[in-house]
Amino acid sequence: MDGVSFDVKRGEVFCLVGESGCGKTTTGKALLRLVDATEGDVFFELPTEEYRRYEELRAGRAPDAAARIDAIRRKYSFSWTEQLAWDTRQILFWLGAVAAAFVLAVGLPALAAAGIPGALVNTGFILGASLLCGLLLGVIGSLPPTRPSARTPTVLALLSILAFNLFPIVAALGWPATLPGAPFDAPGIWATVWGASSFAMLLGVIVAPIAAGAASKIVLARRRETEGLLGVKMRTLRRRLHLIFQDPYESLNPKQSVFEIVSEPLVVNKIAHDPEEIAALVARSLEDAGLRPASEFVFRFPHELSGGQRQRVSIAAALALEPDFIVADEPVSMLDVSIRTEILQLMMDLREKRGLTYLFITHDLGLAWILADRIAVMYLGKIVEQGTAEQVISHPKHPYTQALISVVPSPDPRHLVKRTILKGERPDAVNIPGGCRFHPRCPVAFERCGWSADEVAEELRSLSSGGRLLRIIGIEAQDSRTVTLQMAPGVSAGVAAATLRQIVSENRDSRLALKGVAEIRESGDAIQVTLQSWAEPPLIELGPGNAVACHLVTPPAEAVPAVTA
Amino acid sequence: MHAVDGVSFDLDEGEALGLAGESGCGKTTTALSLMRLLPYNGKIVSGSILFRGRDLVKVSDLRIRKIRWKEISIIFQGAMNSLNPVRNIGQQIAEPIILHEKVDEDEATNRVGELLELVGINRDRRRDFPHEFSGGMRQRVMIAMALACNPKIVIADEPVTALDVMIQAQILELLERLRKELHLSMILISHDLSVMAETCEKVAIMYGGKMMEVGKTVDVFTDPKHPYTQGLVAAFPDIRGQRTMPASIPGDVPSLINPPSGCVFHPRCKFAFDRCTAAEPALAEVTPGRRAACFLYPGVPEVTPRPMTVEAR
Repeated sequence: MDGVSFDVKRGEVFCLVGESGCGKTTTGKALLRLVDATEGDVFFELPTEEYRRYEELRAGRAPDAAARIDAIRRKYSFSWTEQLAWDTRQILFWLGAVAAAFVLAVGLPALAAAGIPGALVNTGFILGASLLCGLLLGVIGSLPPTRPSARTPTVLALLSILAFNLFPIVAALGWPATLPGAPFDAPGIWATVWGASSFAMLLGVIVAPIAAGAASKIVLARRRETEGLLGVKMRTLRRRLHLIFQDPYESLNPKQSVFEIVSEPLVVNKIAHDPEEIAALVARSLEDAGLRPASEFVFRFPHELSGGQRQRVSIAAALALEPDFIVADEPVSMLDVSIRTEILQLMMDLREKRGLTYLFITHDLGLAWILADRIAVMYLGKIVEQGTAEQVISHPKHPYTQALISVVPSPDPRHLVKRTILKGERPDAVNIPGGCRFHPRCPVAFERCGWSADEVAEELRSLSSGGRLLRIIGIEAQDSRTVTLQMAPGVSAGVAAATLRQIVSENRDSRLALKGVAEIRESGDAIQVTLQSWAEPPLIELGPGNAVACHLVTPPAEAVPAVTA
Repeated sequence: MHAVDGVSFDLDEGEALGLAGESGCGKTTTALSLMRLLPYNGKIVSGSILFRGRDLVKVSDLRIRKIRWKEISIIFQGAMNSLNPVRNIGQQIAEPIILHEKVDEDEATNRVGELLELVGINRDRRRDFPHEFSGGMRQRVMIAMALACNPKIVIADEPVTALDVMIQAQILELLERLRKELHLSMILISHDLSVMAETCEKVAIMYGGKMMEVGKTVDVFTDPKHPYTQGLVAAFPDIRGQRTMPASIPGDVPSLINPPSGCVFHPRCKFAFDRCTAAEPALAEVTPGRRAACFLYPGVPEVTPRPMTVEAR
C-alpha cells in the first residue's frame, strides 16, 4: 500500500472499493493502528483550517515547515510517535543536568559532612544522600515527559551503573582525604558506603519514575493548556474508533456469551464498573443493533445465533462504546441477500441516530453505489479514482473503474451492457509493475503508461514464436529501457529493422506493449529497441473531490526516466 | 427431515438452468441428489431423475458410476478446498479420464493438456500443484476436471462465490463459452441472482428445501410471481438503476428440522393469509411457461400432506 490519501468527513459514508488483495483491509487496519504504517499520517478530528495549513506547509518550502508540520502531526495524527527528544542540544542539556545532579547529590552531603566530624561513618546520612541521587537519576531517566519511551529503562540502567560506581569511589577516595581527623581507613569506609548507597540508590531509582510520571503529568497539563492536545493517546481513541469485521462466523469468540462479547469493551475501557450499569448499556446496544428484546439474547452463545444475528452482535459490541467512527470491513459479504439489506439499513439508521461516520470496505460496487457518499477505488495499494458515488459509478473515468463497473452483474436481465473483462489477474504485490500499476491489464494503455523492457521483450518473443519475426533469433531485455534483438547470421540489420518497424506499427493496437517502443535502431549486427519514457500517473483532482490517476484523463506530468532497480 | 422436497424441473440439451436461493435452502443437496452423491445419512426417499429415458434413482450403484462424470459432472463448491493439495493438477484431472475411459497414460496426459488449454491455462502447468494457482485459476482447473470425460450435463455449484468481480466475470464468460462450444447443458447453482441473469435461460428459485418458482430468467426477474422471488429480486442493488436501499425480507431462513406449517415461506411473507399456514401450496403453472408455489394465484393446488417417515438405520 502506498500513496493512499483520503479524508472522511464527519457523518459520511466513505467506501473503499477494490479487488481482494488491493489493500482495502490493510488501509482500514492502518487507520485504526491495528497495523502500523511505515510512513504517513492518520489525522483524527483535524479542523479544516489546520488541514489547509498542513497542505500549504507540505506544498510550500517555508524554512520552518518541517517543525510546523510536526506540530500539527503531534496534535492530530495518531501515527505520530515522539521521536525527536534527543537532538545534540538536548543531549548537552541533559548531560549538564546530570552533572549538576551529581554535584548536588554528592557535593552537598559532602559539604554537610565536612561540618560534622565523624559523619562519614553515619550510615543514615549516606543513605539519604544516595536516595536523593537515585531519585534525581530516575527523574532524568524518565524524561522527556511526553510518552514513556522505549529507551527509558536503558538510560536508567546506564546512569545507575555509572552512579553506583562513581559515588562510592568518590566517597571513599575523596572524602577521607579532605576531612581532618577522619579515620584513615579507606577500604572500610568504601565498603560501608558501597553497601548502603547501593541499596538506597536502588530505592531511589524505583521511586523516581513515579515522581517523574507525576512531573510529566504536570508538564503535559501545562503543554495542553498552551498547545492544545498533545499527542494522541491511542488507548483513549480506541473508544471512539471501531471496527466491524468481515466474517460474523469467525470474529465472535465461541466461548463467550453475547453479554460477555458486548460488555468486554465496556470493562476493558473502564467505562462502567457497576454490574447493573453494564447490563443496562449492553441491553441498550443490543436493542440499538436490532436484537430485541435484549434479554432474550444476552445469555446466548454465538452458535445459537443466525448469521444476521451474529453480525448484529458484532455491531452491538462496536456500538457499546458509542464510537464516532466505524471501519466496516465487508460487514455483509458473508450474509444472505435477504438479510443483508436489514444490516445495511441498521447501519444507516444508526448513522442518523448517533451521527456515526463509516469507512465502508467492500469489493461490491453495487453496495458502494447504494451506501456511499464518496467512493475511492483502489488497485494494488493505490487509489486510482476517487469521488462521489455519482461521479465514480455513473461517470467513471479510470479504465479500471470502468471495467469493474461493466462486470458487475445486474439483477435485471434487460440491462445488458457490454462487459470489459480484464485479462489475467492482479499482479503480485511483491513485484509491482512500473509506471501506472494497472497498465499490464489496461485495455486502453498507451505509450506513457510504463511499459518495461521485459514486457516489450516478452511481446516481441511471442510475435517471434508466432512466426512473425523470422530472422531474429535472440530477444533480450538489455536494461530497463532497451531491448536488443540478435539476428540470424547473414541478415542485414537494416532490412530486419525495417521489417520490425512495420510489424510493430501494424500490431501496436492489438499488442499494447508494442506501444512502448519509441525507436528501433540498428547497431552493428543487432537491433536496439529503445522504449518510451514513462511516469507514474499521480492522483490529480479533476473537479471538487473527484480525483483520477490516469494519463489518459490527466495530461502526463514530466516524464521521469526509468530507474533500474 | 426432508432437506429437499417437491423439487421438480427439466433441463433441455444445451440449456442452462439457474438454481437460486439463500444458504441452507437445499440447492447443493438437490445437485448431489442428481448425481446420487448424497452422504451416507442422506437418502432419496421418493421421486425420479429422468436422464435420457432412464431413471437415475432406480439404476444400480454400478451403473450410476458409469453415468457420473461421463454423463453428468459437477464443479464442486469452493475451488480453494476441493482440490487435493498433495497431487499435481494434471494427475487430478487425469484421474476421472483413466477411471472412466479405456485410455493409456499418454493419451490421458494429452487430453489433460487439451482440457487445460480449453479453460485458458497453459498446458505446461499441469505439473503444478494447487497452491501454485490463484483462486480464479483453481476454479478453471475444477472446470477442466468436470469436463474431463465430455459430460452432457455440468452442475456448477457456486462456481464464482468467493471470487473477485473481475475473476467472476472471467469464469462466467468461460462457462458460457464452453457451454456454446461443447453444447453442454448446465445447472448453475448460486445464491447470487445477478449471476444468473446473464447466463441462464431458466431459473428455479428454492426456499426451505422447496421450489418456489420456475420459469424463464427474463420473465422471473422482470415479473416475479412468488412473494419470495419478489423479495429476492428487490434485495439486489442495481448499479445501473436508482440509488435506493434495496428492500429486505424480514426474518430468518427457517430451520429444516422444525419447518413452519403450511407454506415454508409464510412467516416471512407479507401477503400471507390463513390458507398459507394451514396448507402447503404445490408448484403449479400460474401463467404460461411459469410455475410458482403460492396460493395468491388461483388454481394452485395444495400438497397432500405426506406422513413423515422415519427410517431406522
